[in-house]
Amino acid sequence: MHIPDGILPVPVTLGGYAVCAAAVFFCLHRINKRPDPAADIPKAALLTAAFFVASLIHIPIPPASVHLVLSGLLGVLLGFFAIPAILIGLFFQAAMFGHGGLTTLGINWVIIGFPAMAAHYIFRFGLRGRQGPKQTATFAFLAGSLAIMLSVLFFSLLLVTAVPADLGAAVEKTAMLVLIVAHVPLALIEGVITAMTATFLLRVSPRVLHGV
Amino acid sequence: MDPRCRLAGLFVLIFAYSFVSDFRLLGAILAFTLMLFFMSGLPIRFILQKLKLPSIIILVLVLILPFVSGQNILLDLGFISLKQEGLHAAGLIAARFLCIIITVMIVLHTAPLLTHVKAMRAMGLPWIMADMALLTGRYLEVLGSDLKRMQIAMRLRGLNASRPGLYMLRTRAWLCGSLLVRGLERADWVYRAMRLRGYGQSMAAPCEYRVTALDMAVLAASVLTAGTFTGLEIWFGL
Repeated sequence: MHIPDGILPVPVTLGGYAVCAAAVFFCLHRINKRPDPAADIPKAALLTAAFFVASLIHIPIPPASVHLVLSGLLGVLLGFFAIPAILIGLFFQAAMFGHGGLTTLGINWVIIGFPAMAAHYIFRFGLRGRQGPKQTATFAFLAGSLAIMLSVLFFSLLLVTAVPADLGAAVEKTAMLVLIVAHVPLALIEGVITAMTATFLLRVSPRVLHGV
Repeated sequence: MDPRCRLAGLFVLIFAYSFVSDFRLLGAILAFTLMLFFMSGLPIRFILQKLKLPSIIILVLVLILPFVSGQNILLDLGFISLKQEGLHAAGLIAARFLCIIITVMIVLHTAPLLTHVKAMRAMGLPWIMADMALLTGRYLEVLGSDLKRMQIAMRLRGLNASRPGLYMLRTRAWLCGSLLVRGLERADWVYRAMRLRGYGQSMAAPCEYRVTALDMAVLAASVLTAGTFTGLEIWFGL
């Protein structure tokens, strides 16, 4: 779900950077308003590193296997810190593995970042103080799977409409449909993993679930 | 070389590459990238290894576009036809991708990654982002080895990693949860240790970089090359 370098035209990639910069600025402003913002940085950074490492866990779907994205869970646990965390994660992925890209860093942030924030709000507003395992699992599943489906929607919209080739309305529609349908199993798996991880955290260490 | 100049030059060059769409210029940017690659001394095997993962989407586009995009048919095979516009788009995407990713690897893989993060901080990256990035980079390896250890322990206790179904998802979720709990517990100790060393005090660290004449010359050459490619692209497009 990362768009590599070389596909998108410069106005789109620069637009991605502009949107990303505005969102990061807004979140950093909110974080700076906290009584001691420095106290939360190690927590956010170590959780970012943990997410980065956890996304390397394989889920075997015969005959292949998939990697977890965990953007929903990241949004749920990190809140406003998810915005800089995703940007940092995407930068490390692009720089270390060539996954994604540096010109498309902003656009890839839009694809992953906004759904992660949506997941955060789904989970927090859904629970609204209720902490039972069933409610936690339900809203974590919704947050995890909807984050992936939103990301897939942004990804396919951008890929199909901004690719430097005239595809025609019918081909664009088919390509989008194929991309979205192909990602439904991943969205369900992410939802289940998010729900199971959230209930595990509720039992083992509820303070992790309260977020940063 | 000053990492700030390296980063500035890199971004100017890769955005110039992604602006190019004329076929004559694609040859020029490919030749320039090859020249940079041979100057860097990086082994070809290293580049090929790094190309494996990101090439999947590019490969799919390059294989599909020549058959689905455009009107001018170059080769008609009956049920499928090769089209000129699609072939052009596929070539454009592949060339730009290769040039950008090779240039990124040359710049970012010839110095430690955290050096570049420090350079970004020196260039004005907000302190929250810079500190998060430095700590994330520092603890990636630590948590990565934690994950490996936990996976070995799970296998030793008889985990069947290939067994499908909810059992497999649950073990992965618990593994993920354990990693998060360990991460947060470690963060508490890390924060206390950082506070003891003065973290959070408003003393600005002195800039550790010095720009030399060579750095400026290399940056100027990058800007000039990028400007030339951009100018020629606009010229050819008129």
